[in-house]
Amino acid sequence: MREPLHAATRINLEKVEVLLVDDSVPSLNLLSQVLLGFGVGNLTRADGARAAQALLRERTFDLVISATNMAGVDGYELVKWLRRGALEANRYLAVILVSGHTPPSQVFKGRDAGANFTIAKPITPKIVLERILWAAKEDRQFIECGTYLGPDRRFRNDGPAPGAKGRRREDPPQALRPPGAPSLESADSEKAKP
Amino acid sequence: MSVMRKFRAPNRLSMLVRADGGMMAKDALAAADAALEPLRAESLAVLDAALAEIEARFGRSAAATRTGGVHQDLYTLALRIIDVSGFLPGSCVDQAAVSFCALVDNCAEAGVWRWEAVDVHINALRLLRTADLDPDQRQAVIAGLNKVSQRRIDDA
Repeated sequence: MREPLHAATRINLEKVEVLLVDDSVPSLNLLSQVLLGFGVGNLTRADGARAAQALLRERTFDLVISATNMAGVDGYELVKWLRRGALEANRYLAVILVSGHTPPSQVFKGRDAGANFTIAKPITPKIVLERILWAAKEDRQFIECGTYLGPDRRFRNDGPAPGAKGRRREDPPQALRPPGAPSLESADSEKAKP
Repeated sequence: MSVMRKFRAPNRLSMLVRADGGMMAKDALAAADAALEPLRAESLAVLDAALAEIEARFGRSAAATRTGGVHQDLYTLALRIIDVSGFLPGSCVDQAAVSFCALVDNCAEAGVWRWEAVDVHINALRLLRTADLDPDQRQAVIAGLNKVSQRRIDDA
């Protein structure tokens, strides 16, 4: 479980290089103001994914915040590209997607593109700051395989049930699973359902 | 079987955020709220302009010419409303626009346009934006919209 934001938490964004990407000017303005309010000292704005790609090929950033729905290359494609095609120093960046319409399919799409988090618009300063702190405290390892490069998409360490597809060697055995995790029996009974 | 590599990537953000100086979260939030305030009027103007454009191009008055072929335009206009609706907290305008996006998605996917559902959303957005409703009434509007937008096309 990730921590909620505490009023007394200290944060220093003065030297963080942030790239903000959105092809909607009003939205870009709102997010810029929020970040400037947080004390971000190095904020670069890109009015589309192609402009962002050009920047990510040339300069090193520490955080990317991008809209998802953009004409041409969208935010999901941008993140996928960033993880493999940007400067080496930018491939493991923290990426936060911002989206006005976030049905589960879109959230999964962002996750599978390699984003760290997705924020639903309309943005609020509290949620933006909280997600930046989550990204700063990110403790997930990176996974690289043929179809994916990005933070481990599992937030919990249970892994699929024994015998199921996608299980890894380091997944905890049934006996070590935290209380409340589905038991082997219940997983099997799920499988037996029509 | 594909080869999977698992590794710890450097997190520069983590190191920078913890540097000496900076500010407390409560002060950062207050500063962000203050920084947003000058954008209030222009943001609400953007919202009203987007709603007016939706009405003009996709509303009942455009019944003879409106077409689902430009669903991306309608979707983008609804998103524009969501972008700036944070200036109307508690109004439920953002939720109505999200429901609108879901409706547009469903219609585009099915290739069938339910214009009466579009009209309902436009009317509701106008109502939520301009009328003096209490929170329960606003929630009732949203509950109704969600039923309309999530309704399957083949159930219509």
